[in-house]
Amino acid sequence: MVDQRLSVPRYWRRMPQYYRLEGVQCIKCGRVYFPPRAVCECGSREFKPYPLPSTGKLINFTVLYSVPAEFEKMKPLIMGMVDLGGVKVIGQIVDCMDPEKLSPGIDVEVVFRMVKMDSTYGLINYGYKFRPINNC
Amino acid sequence: MFNTSEVYVVAHSLVPGSRHYEKGLKELFAEAFLKVLDQVGNANLGAIYVANAFSEVLQDQGVLGAFLSDYVGMRRIPAIRIESGDGSSGVAILEAYNTVRAGIYDCVAVVGVEKMHDVVNIKLNKALATITDYEYEGFFGVTPAAQAAMAMREYMLKYGYDYEDLATWPIKMHERGSKNPLAYMKKQASLKDVLESEVVADPLRLYDVAPAVDGSAAVILCNKPVKSDAAIRIDGIGIGAYGTYTGQRDSLTELLSVRDATNMALRTAHVSIGDIRIAEVHDTYSILGMLSLESMGLVRPGETPRLLSTGALDAGNKLVVNASGGLKSMGFPGGASGMYELALMVMELMNIKPFESLGKAELGVVQDMAGFDLVSTSVVLRRVS
Ligand SMILES: [Zn+2]
Repeated sequence: MVDQRLSVPRYWRRMPQYYRLEGVQCIKCGRVYFPPRAVCECGSREFKPYPLPSTGKLINFTVLYSVPAEFEKMKPLIMGMVDLGGVKVIGQIVDCMDPEKLSPGIDVEVVFRMVKMDSTYGLINYGYKFRPINNC
Repeated sequence: MFNTSEVYVVAHSLVPGSRHYEKGLKELFAEAFLKVLDQVGNANLGAIYVANAFSEVLQDQGVLGAFLSDYVGMRRIPAIRIESGDGSSGVAILEAYNTVRAGIYDCVAVVGVEKMHDVVNIKLNKALATITDYEYEGFFGVTPAAQAAMAMREYMLKYGYDYEDLATWPIKMHERGSKNPLAYMKKQASLKDVLESEVVADPLRLYDVAPAVDGSAAVILCNKPVKSDAAIRIDGIGIGAYGTYTGQRDSLTELLSVRDATNMALRTAHVSIGDIRIAEVHDTYSILGMLSLESMGLVRPGETPRLLSTGALDAGNKLVVNASGGLKSMGFPGGASGMYELALMVMELMNIKPFESLGKAELGVVQDMAGFDLVSTSVVLRRVS
């Protein structure tokens, strides 16, 4: 049993993003960013949290056969670029047995899944992935 | 008024890329470095710039410069390691150039060195993932190949190309490599070979990927030429940056850092893009080679596959692209890639074997890039005398 207090800060620090897709919105001009940043294009440094919508559209994708070590057991990975209310996010597309059925423009929803096993601490990292809404 | 020196490439060398299992970073470095040192006799080197991307991840080695300079008997000479991913070399060249230009040193060496084959492939993928925004890309499994694949898909859709049209890049690069004894990939590739190669990240296939190699390449830069015949001078150098999360890009088919770097290099060299006769571009993936050419302004957007297939970018034309066979043929030595491109460009401009039949070109450009359009450099070189 792994002691959860060993949980790595670099992972739990990002939980609002990894778990809830929390971006930021500029208080001055309204621009939304994911991932969050410190300074807006307009120069403002004031932001409020802005959770991205949980559905969107697939823009671009690839089926990745050569993957980093910690994803070896999950390959191939489908990596997709998804438009969530005007903000583009790149991530894994899951629950799709037939990638031939994927095409730009299809509807997807955000799901919460295991991403990988932390190779140093043996902890499981969770985060967002995307699932085609109609069967795939 | 601030007086600046001219900067010449007075020596060059490269260790042909391969799986050099018997050589570590130190041996590879020494091989390339000692060759350039011997070419200039007694150069008064002020510093050594070392371009390397992955020594922490692949060799567990930090402060790399210190151990490399000691290995070649120069522990008192500062060896400054530059890390900017697979674009490390261009930044190292820029820094070295600036110190000579500013008069800080008369001569400096720039050495690119990388050992990609110290680990198994899946660990190499992990190293390559460090040239993405790791927290939001690499963390989820995004690799440079995945980014290149999406760029390729966008390019094909935007300009109405099929995969077969884009296969001209690997075919042409293999053709060049087959005539280059320094190349790692020395055999020709047919359209069938490319189409039947395994899919790495669809639509990207194995033949679209520059094969990882171990290697080292070096130059010495000085404020005056050592020999009077065929001196190569750096006339302009530029750097551009557009580092961001992939999702925040408007387009995956324009490399803005490449555009800015090239414009800066042309401006400082007082030349226009139409004056360039030979180019070596950073084709870690076919699509990135094509996008680089187009972003530099050497080829109109969307035209590269067409021009390549008609042979318009082959030797004998107004513009010759990757006469060496590019990284596709030379291999991909991580952060040392740009040093290979530079050493090859020097040989091309000097008409040195195997480029003696290339024809006398006066102006060449070398383009290097980190990750997907993160930081890029362009170097304009001129053959003088
Ligand atoms: Zn703003």
